[in-house]
Amino acid sequence: MKRLFQILAAAVLLAGLSVLRPAEAQTIDEILSRGTINIGVLVDLPPYGILNAQQEPDGYDIEVAKLLGGYLGVKVNLVPLTSPNRIPFLLTNKVDLIVATFGITPERAKQVMFSIPYSAIENVVFAGKDKKIAGIQDLKGLRVGVPRGTVQDVILSKTLGSAVKLARFDDDPSTYQALLTGQVDAIAETGLTGDKFYDSHPEGGIERKFTLLQQPNGITMRKDQFNLHQWVNTFVYFTKNNGELNALYEKWFQKPLPNLPVF
Amino acid sequence: MEYVFHFGDIWEARDELLDGTLLTLRLSAVSMVLSLIVAVIGAFARTSGPAWLRGIVAAYVELIRNTPFLVQLFMIFFGLPTLGVRLDANTGALIAMVLNGSAYTIEIVRAGIESIGHGQTEAALALGLSRLRIFRLIILPQALRVVVPPLGSQFILLMLNSSICSVISADELTAATQDIQARTFRPFEAFIVAAGIYLCLSLAFSGLFAAIERFAFGAPAEGRR
Repeated sequence: MKRLFQILAAAVLLAGLSVLRPAEAQTIDEILSRGTINIGVLVDLPPYGILNAQQEPDGYDIEVAKLLGGYLGVKVNLVPLTSPNRIPFLLTNKVDLIVATFGITPERAKQVMFSIPYSAIENVVFAGKDKKIAGIQDLKGLRVGVPRGTVQDVILSKTLGSAVKLARFDDDPSTYQALLTGQVDAIAETGLTGDKFYDSHPEGGIERKFTLLQQPNGITMRKDQFNLHQWVNTFVYFTKNNGELNALYEKWFQKPLPNLPVF
Repeated sequence: MEYVFHFGDIWEARDELLDGTLLTLRLSAVSMVLSLIVAVIGAFARTSGPAWLRGIVAAYVELIRNTPFLVQLFMIFFGLPTLGVRLDANTGALIAMVLNGSAYTIEIVRAGIESIGHGQTEAALALGLSRLRIFRLIILPQALRVVVPPLGSQFILLMLNSSICSVISADELTAATQDIQARTFRPFEAFIVAAGIYLCLSLAFSGLFAAIERFAFGAPAEGRR
């Protein structure tokens, strides 16, 4: 009887969770009157987001986030995220928006709202020099590492299904490390980050194989933040036109901002 | 915004959840059995072995109990390959769980052994029984009877710890849940379902341990717990 009561109490507790209302609207006015904006960023994806020598978040995304806060005239509170918990943090209201190299896809847009693109990323397959991999079909039968739930994860599982053995990791550094230690045969990851990492580990003998896709990234909000969304789009449009975004891009990537299509 | 719950996407991924649950179950069950075996051997070594062996077991227990499971997992998965030992994620997870679980269970079984009066050992020695036979026939059955409840809760912790193995890409329940939530963007629904499954697994295991205690060692003696 006592046991039954315990189980019932646990069930009631779980049911209670479902009446919580985790996400609530966050408008420009609310942010302005609060005086701070909470922005989710990645700190494990150089040069998009890193921790600098002072252990503070730094990188292209972080500078864009600071620029955004500067134009809003509020204090920026940076919240470090990992790639799988980007949407949960946003939906549970822990951050107001995220600037976290988040690729724009229709699947994601069912849950969140994207601004027009502010950066682009190259998704590249890396593997050892001895492996002959020229296209996606060559990955059949191999163990391929991806960060969980990323665009490359979806592409590979949709195209190859069970023909490829995907190893999903919780963050980017584990994915890069898994290839270096030979735990996987190949990985699909961010091109520039991979170049930097594998250049500093030449003993791994790892090189770029082919580009999976070019992915434009958007600043991401909850899907009911229309008011904030309109302002963020205006911010991206403006800083693209006045060259500020390009200057940041050149600082971190040593090349000009690629042509970013808008929607 | 009113959050609208959609469990439809989770239901569509039920095969994935089932696979994850089965792997969690397999990892937990195998590591429970193996760590019990290691615990009995380790506890015997620690109580009746030669000094050097006692030292080794004590060092192992202290090393494992004073470092985080996550760090041990990374050492096995990312550290060992640099020494030429390459384990796939699920094997690595299993080894880490056995390694971690054993350190705790050794101490539990040792406590059980030490709770048995020394007079029994002396009496058995006087009767001419060997150390190993005393341990196997007299000490161990009584010790195990005492430690079933703490072993049970340690084993349930071990099972819940398996959720950490998702970081090295072992496809257990938490990994499956993370995949589903990353694909469907339904974190609340996915984790509520996962929490429910873990709860059921824990209750099932504690029921199993209670049954073992009852049938293998007789009804629990009042006042002992």
